[in-house]
Amino acid sequence: MTDTSAPLYEVRNISKSYGSVIALDNASLAVRAGEVVGLVGDNGAGKSTLVKALAGAHRPDSGQIFLDGIERHWASPHEALQAGVETLYQESSLAPHLSVSANVFLGREIVSPGLLGKLGFLAQKKMDAEAHADLERVGIAVPASNRPVSQLSGGQRQAVAIGRTVSWARKVIILDEPTNHLGARQSKEVLQVIRAAKAKGLGVIFISHTLPHILEVTDRIVVLRLGKIVKDAPTSDFDVDTLLGTITGLLV
Amino acid sequence: MALTESPELAPGANPRPPASPESHSTPLSERLTGFLTNQQTILLLVLIGMVVVFSILNPIFFSLDVFGNVLLDWGPVALIAVAETFVIISGGIDLSVGATLGFSGVIAAYAMQAMTAAGMGDSITILCGTLVAAATGMFVGFVNSLLINRLHLVPFIATLATLGAAGGMSIVLTGGAPVGDGPQSAIDLSVPWLGPLSWPLIVVIVVVIIAGLFLHKARFGRYTYAIGSNPFAALAAGINVKRHLTKIYVLSGLLSGLAGMFLYIRLGSGAPTSGVGDELDAIAAVVIGGVALAGGIGRMSGTVLGSLILATVTSGLIIIGVEPNWKQVVVAILIAAAVSLQALRANGKRS
Repeated sequence: MTDTSAPLYEVRNISKSYGSVIALDNASLAVRAGEVVGLVGDNGAGKSTLVKALAGAHRPDSGQIFLDGIERHWASPHEALQAGVETLYQESSLAPHLSVSANVFLGREIVSPGLLGKLGFLAQKKMDAEAHADLERVGIAVPASNRPVSQLSGGQRQAVAIGRTVSWARKVIILDEPTNHLGARQSKEVLQVIRAAKAKGLGVIFISHTLPHILEVTDRIVVLRLGKIVKDAPTSDFDVDTLLGTITGLLV
Repeated sequence: MALTESPELAPGANPRPPASPESHSTPLSERLTGFLTNQQTILLLVLIGMVVVFSILNPIFFSLDVFGNVLLDWGPVALIAVAETFVIISGGIDLSVGATLGFSGVIAAYAMQAMTAAGMGDSITILCGTLVAAATGMFVGFVNSLLINRLHLVPFIATLATLGAAGGMSIVLTGGAPVGDGPQSAIDLSVPWLGPLSWPLIVVIVVVIIAGLFLHKARFGRYTYAIGSNPFAALAAGINVKRHLTKIYVLSGLLSGLAGMFLYIRLGSGAPTSGVGDELDAIAAVVIGGVALAGGIGRMSGTVLGSLILATVTSGLIIIGVEPNWKQVVVAILIAAAVSLQALRANGKRS
């Protein structure tokens, strides 16, 4: 929270181009423990590319990534996950045919004890109970964790996705448009979950087009325009008008 | 159903008790209707209905001999239908299972012919033949996974290519004739000794049960459903999707190879024409059993019932003296009925 503390997660001078299109040009961004950083920018500003680099999904052409001050070279999203960096993507990251608990534990299943566990047999009841408890802990109430995700409403699905991200995160969470397509009350709840993550001491990177949400919950705002970071300042420096002006480039 | 009742809910302080799982609160009448509209129950009733109708039309049908024969027809199709179940739930399709069955049978037949000529015992020869058939099938499955993962072919095209390659090589190698002169006692293994069951069928049943457990109770199945349901989610969750797909297609090849050995034992030779078109029977069985071609949906019990229905129709029509080609029509009706039933159920759930 204090700007003097060392960054928890940091990218320095990241560049990435697709053919002749420069998606990111020397972008740098840092988040401290217990800090919420808002990342904003118009469509095509390079937000998704930056998110993919942060999540380990894309390797940047140049630049460095540091977690806890140690340089990292993510080969896959799996490596970033293992190191404690959780990402909630804009695309749905739930498997609709699987149950809530199967989704919460996807890729990190609890197996039965003994030989059956070695063969990959699952401790389903345990996961059902723990998924329910994990989601409640981050402030999300879902009817029954053994119900398929396809039977939940859009808001509930998003809540499950966010709940999973927050409950697994050990260091950093990256939320790409988590309030998209959500109603006012559900959005408010997502912001509440972000505050809970901050209180837990996680570093949060929050990407959104909804500027009031950004202004409400972040400590600092980073503005991307045409692949470049054009502004990185405390949230108190902005209001909706100045933020919009910075994003569109009409105000510098 | 709302996300939360109170908008200002503090994290970790949910005052509402956790909702209990549905099964505890559902009244008996509702569970009964649930049971009766359950796809597996309908399939079981269709199967029993068919056995009753065929037995009334020709009492010979209701005998251990006929059941034994129906099951012998069922065995190889069941193996490749199990393979297809994994592949289709993962969102793919394997058109090469039938050709792989024939190819594995032929390669295993050559191996057993050589071993027999070298004077080796029947038991060891049959065991080695089984291993050769399994390995040949796994090889074809591995080629499928390379085409899909490395060359980025869609599964339909990748397995269409191996269907042609494996089928063509079987004919080229053999000149179209069955490969015999293997262990004399192989064919005796098809003789039932446990009711209508013979050794190869017992192996099939054990394989089906183990496959069902891995599909529904283990991580292997969980990943299979996840990939078919939303490959992006599987990837984002850290699942190595390519490696899992490789395992699925190699498993599919392995089961096709075992099906090839099953037919070798039944016929006493490896025929290059064995398995031709069987992929369509396997896909039909799986679809009748409730597996969705779009991936993510299906149960092993459905596949077992679907393949049993198919085998029963085939033998039943012959025994009641109906022109055997009617089978295609009956299967077509079953597929249409099964899929429309699924669509109706899906619509019912949505409204």
